[in-house]
Amino acid sequence: MKTLGADRVSVAFAGLRALSGVTLSVASGRIVGLIGPNGAGKTTLVNVLTGFQAPTEGAVTLDGVPLPKLGPHEVRRRGIARTFQGGRLFRDLPVIDNLEVTGVGLGQSRAAAIAEARAMLDWIGIAPLAERIAGTLPYTDERRVAIGRALMGRPDFVLLDEPAAGMSAPEAAELSALIRRIAGEMGCGVLLIEHNVGLVLQLCDHIVVLDSGSVIEQGPPGVIRASDKVRHAYMGTAAETDLPVPEIEG
Amino acid sequence: MLRRGSVVRRTIATPIILSALILALAIFTVWSGSRPFNQTVIDVLLRVMLVVGLYIFIGNSGVLSFGHIGFTCLGAYAAAWLTMPPMMKGMMLPGLPGWLIATKLPYWVAAPIAATFAAVFAWLFGLVLMRLSGIAASIATFAMLAMINKIYSNWSSVTGATSSVVGIPIVRDLWPYVIAAILCIVIAWAHAISRAGLKLRAARDEPVAAQASGIDIPRERLVAFVVSGWVTGLAGALFAHSLGVVTPDTFYLAMTFMALSMLVVGGMSSLSGAVLGVLVLSLLIQLLRGLERGVDMGGVALKIPNGLQEIALGVIMIAILMFRPSGMMGNRELVWPRARRRRAADAAPRSSTNTQPTGVHR
Repeated sequence: MKTLGADRVSVAFAGLRALSGVTLSVASGRIVGLIGPNGAGKTTLVNVLTGFQAPTEGAVTLDGVPLPKLGPHEVRRRGIARTFQGGRLFRDLPVIDNLEVTGVGLGQSRAAAIAEARAMLDWIGIAPLAERIAGTLPYTDERRVAIGRALMGRPDFVLLDEPAAGMSAPEAAELSALIRRIAGEMGCGVLLIEHNVGLVLQLCDHIVVLDSGSVIEQGPPGVIRASDKVRHAYMGTAAETDLPVPEIEG
Repeated sequence: MLRRGSVVRRTIATPIILSALILALAIFTVWSGSRPFNQTVIDVLLRVMLVVGLYIFIGNSGVLSFGHIGFTCLGAYAAAWLTMPPMMKGMMLPGLPGWLIATKLPYWVAAPIAATFAAVFAWLFGLVLMRLSGIAASIATFAMLAMINKIYSNWSSVTGATSSVVGIPIVRDLWPYVIAAILCIVIAWAHAISRAGLKLRAARDEPVAAQASGIDIPRERLVAFVVSGWVTGLAGALFAHSLGVVTPDTFYLAMTFMALSMLVVGGMSSLSGAVLGVLVLSLLIQLLRGLERGVDMGGVALKIPNGLQEIALGVIMIAILMFRPSGMMGNRELVWPRARRRRAADAAPRSSTNTQPTGVHR
């Protein structure tokens, strides 16, 4: 059982406070949702947790111990993986090579990386895409390849940055099933950032709501659903709308 | 699902075809029996080594380097130190340590040592430079070139400053250059298909995702910088033996411009492009040199003004950058004709608007 945490993390960009004193934690096998309006600081928090952004104050903790200042590649090698909004696949490489490169980046031999990549594509259910050039994939497949790439080397934690953006309802349902298996079958701790609040409420054990860089509410889905604070901050003018809503546009 | 052979089997065609091209050129040269042509082909082979060396770093990392000719300078002078007659060194370069003055090695022993000397400096400079990216990195490599040039132009007791260092054994035999050029091609290929090469190209195409895939970008760049420093250093050593004379300014802006233009014309992200760029532009340079000297065309003397050679190179480079930025090879590699057809079928679903450099051995 492992825990990844943010301990009173603050980030300031030239005086602008992107995050102030954010604390949260994700444990193995659990799915934690991170929601909030645009500009709330969700991606900044993911960047801090994965070493892309150094916190101005506070620390990232692994099993309660603060991590030293690490580069993104070192964080990844410690078992904390992520995906990106917009995929960021290696567009000119075939799908299988996208995963292979990551295995190699984590120190595997090429043969071991290819073997794991094949098994991973199979596990996700996209084995037929192996030889397709990543840049030619439709949107939803691109997302699934990105998740497969993040799962190479069996990380302890995976941070998914808006994996369902732009997906239709059936596609999002398929994605939900995959995320459940990542937590259930792989025992990965998942931090899910999503605009699709319905998806988050239905998938997550615990949900953290960010607004203007601060945590305004957290708890199980029932608490979030009932919270007036969330309704106000998150929904803005649409305060009367009943949660869950299918999707909130920025 | 397609079965794929090993990386070596999938990509071995490229170094074989390129080496065969070099060998064909060499056999033709020997067959022609012309001494001036022999010297011209030696120059071409030295350029192949230089441009292949540049490709190893620039092609795989995507970072433009203006500094590699500095390593050529280091290699050339190191070869001079190791192979000149001790008496001449004692007179011309009295600042060299006693043991080095006393040393006189055969050129083929000295050349790899000289290349390693250049590679050590590539490593030292690289430790600092590889932390930079983009235009900052390029400018820093240029600063490195200027530093090396200034040191070699002023340290008279060790480098003879700006005066020519003479007495370097001259090698007129073609085959050592052929072997060295093929060696450089094989090194470039081996690096490209290695794990280091794979990681570096991933970092070139999508640096953020590469970092999130555990890739240490400065480290992979450093590996390529040192390997390419070795290759360009070896080219420098053999350059010294091809002329028998070196000066610091031989290895400066003109050579940098020439090598970069050949790489750009051939295709920056392709080993085949590096070699073909040299061959095609060398042919053109040869023609223009002939015209600069003047050609008698049935009583009418055809002669172009001096300097047109460099101008033509510049025009071609700009035209390539405007109309075909991925160069002659379009960032592809030469492969067997059958494999190419299969690959074309593979690539069919790709968007035709994709102008991103690929440079990936498929």
